Amino acid sequence: MSYEPRIIAFLCTWCSYTGADTAGIARIKSPANIRAIRVPCSGRVSPELVMRAFDQGTDGVLVLGCHIGECHYDTGNHRAAKRLPILHSLMQFAGLEPERFHLDWVSASEGERFSRIATEFTDAVRALGPVSWRVTPGEWQAAVESLLPPEEQDIPMTALDCSGKTDAIRAKAKELLTSREVECVIGYEVGPRGRTRPVFIYTPEETGRLVWNPDASNNLVSYLPVKLKPKGKELPKKVAVVVKPCDSRAVNVLLAENQFTRDQVHVIGVTCEGMRDEGGSLQSKCITCEEHTPVVYDTLIGEPPVKGLAVTVDRPEWLEKLPPPQRMEFWLSQFDRCIRCYACRQACPMCNCPTCLYERDDSTFVGLGIGLNEKRTFHLGRAYHLAGRCVGCNECERACPMNIPIGLLNQKLAEEIEAAFDYHAGLTVTPSPIVTVLSGEYKEG
Amino acid sequence: MSKIKVDKKSWLISQSELETWLDGIADVRTLIAPRQVSGIMLYRPVAKSNEISWKGITTGSAYAVRPVLSVKEIFFPPTERLFTIQKTGQEIHLKETYPDWETVVFGVRPCDARGAKLLDSLFLDTNPVDSFYARRRGNTTLIGLACKELGPSCFCTSVGGSPNDAHDVDIMLYETNGGYLAEAVTEKGRFLIPGGEWKETTVSPQPSTQTGQFPVPDKGKWPEIFNDDYWVKISERCLSCRACAYVCPTCRCFAVRDEVLGPGQFERIRCWDACAGENYRRVAGGHKPRAEKGERLRNRFYCKFYYYPEQYGLGTASACTGCGRCIDVCPVGVDITEVLMDLEKPT
Repeated sequence: MSYEPRIIAFLCTWCSYTGADTAGIARIKSPANIRAIRVPCSGRVSPELVMRAFDQGTDGVLVLGCHIGECHYDTGNHRAAKRLPILHSLMQFAGLEPERFHLDWVSASEGERFSRIATEFTDAVRALGPVSWRVTPGEWQAAVESLLPPEEQDIPMTALDCSGKTDAIRAKAKELLTSREVECVIGYEVGPRGRTRPVFIYTPEETGRLVWNPDASNNLVSYLPVKLKPKGKELPKKVAVVVKPCDSRAVNVLLAENQFTRDQVHVIGVTCEGMRDEGGSLQSKCITCEEHTPVVYDTLIGEPPVKGLAVTVDRPEWLEKLPPPQRMEFWLSQFDRCIRCYACRQACPMCNCPTCLYERDDSTFVGLGIGLNEKRTFHLGRAYHLAGRCVGCNECERACPMNIPIGLLNQKLAEEIEAAFDYHAGLTVTPSPIVTVLSGEYKEG
Repeated sequence: MSKIKVDKKSWLISQSELETWLDGIADVRTLIAPRQVSGIMLYRPVAKSNEISWKGITTGSAYAVRPVLSVKEIFFPPTERLFTIQKTGQEIHLKETYPDWETVVFGVRPCDARGAKLLDSLFLDTNPVDSFYARRRGNTTLIGLACKELGPSCFCTSVGGSPNDAHDVDIMLYETNGGYLAEAVTEKGRFLIPGGEWKETTVSPQPSTQTGQFPVPDKGKWPEIFNDDYWVKISERCLSCRACAYVCPTCRCFAVRDEVLGPGQFERIRCWDACAGENYRRVAGGHKPRAEKGERLRNRFYCKFYYYPEQYGLGTASACTGCGRCIDVCPVGVDITEVLMDLEKPT
């Protein structure tokens, strides 16, 4: 028997579902491979549903909604039009053939159009064969070494004199704590073994512990949502936080998402010449960084560096040159190392859901096991949830004990968002264009 | 676990003899050894001895380099299927899935071997015996590799270990000039050693002269400081991730869950869990016994130095082997040695 793909079609009840019916009534032939799932709106189709469908063994996913401007709920299909192409490019980046996922518009009267789209889609998926999305460990372990990235360009960091910035941070912290303007200053200290780490300073006497140096890599903004969360009726006291330029963008994103208000936090912005990795070279995120001055601050410390460090090193490029099955092999081999310790999520200032979707006991999207399928769903889902919100501080990748290049996923999505909406997360206090509905006009085609 | 002591026999072998021997082992059993995987070292199966990360573990380094995850993952994998459930109409069939392969692990550091020994007191020495763990443990032979020097975050000497402690492995290898001194520690280890091919020697390994770096608080001290503010203070930077617990050779908490495999098919799995996670031990109704970050981080230290030793009769020993992995992986620089030293400081 020849291969017949299994296809899941999410059909909007107000248009394409009836459109499929119209095709039937008019006796227009549609492929039998399509399993229709009726949804109230194409905007309901969350990335988890699509990934779950692939998880469960579908070979292709088709999403059909109302034409733009004809949504029963006014803007539901705008959501779909903004979000699903981003999911499409993410899954393509992760190694799924682009033909396996398709979003289109079909109205209730367009039976012929439904049939045409369904037939074309089915033919394209049939030509590709079964999906290698859900794999059993062992099959792919063959030779991933040949797929490893080329040696990255190491840019050694020259030791910079940071004593001026350290002194300025200490003085400002002392002033803020003495005047009781803030209750706590979140900054950096040098811990035992010489490792720079976050510190919480509550008294003026302790401010001598604060430092600034090229190892101040942690994004301290990730502490703010919890620290500034109202406890009962009591509003938390104001907090000062030391931020680098990339971290300052995270402040803007959280402000746009109403995690706290601007008057709850005193931002001590520090200009940045780049951070060091463990080997003493410039961190990869800093190589392409163009922001050297914080975008939001109450106090600015340091002069912006004279010379920009912007060196064009396009990391995802080598990966995108690989054919899809190999790309998937690469990603699965990376995700396979994951131990689900959630260090990436916990280090991320944007990952502040009270209970992560991927950790809920009652989650039907992903199991709690530490198997390859769960890990893949977690990482791709997390990357998607950060689309348009990730500021590229790359703390997730740095926190990962297993050296998984998670940052590549975020970087890819940031590029996609920039191309589609000309939007950079956190440069201003505006929410991500893909979580809003009316801003960021959708252009068909 | 048979730990019958035999007359300790030693052999002097060269690097190539060692490699030939390991190749022979890999032909008939699963050989697991430190291996470079995408830039980090992990215990992974190797088909030939040249896949082993020699540069990382012996020749290239002056001090002990250890894989990111401990050998724990071999006996107590991140996710393990306990049994499958097949439902046909009203009938339910359960099928246990026992691991049955023979495994040899090469390059086990003394701290990791001690970690496995400590896990035994929970999984094997206390009733009911964990049959899955027992099966894996019984089928595994540990070939230890003594450390020359302590690594930058190692502190095994402070918690009762030593860089060349051979107590908890089956065969111990000590690096000598241009080769290794091999010592059979248990009967199981002796069985692996090729009869007449190796040159026997009477040289016995020198005990390590490295002493403890700092004193560890006495067990009696821990209950007194349970409610101290100190725990809240040090935990503020904690991100509540689980990296420390998952890399730890003796953290052993797990969750058991049923997952759907397909129509009428289910599996019961157990997977790692960690007290640092916010939902750890959440009960029906939503109560979390350790809702605050400070309580959770405190539990980690209490578990290592008070609860576990008390519960499983470790005497004065602690459940920390001093491997220092948690120090290396913590994204925010929580340092277990700092905590231990702080507790010893006069108040």
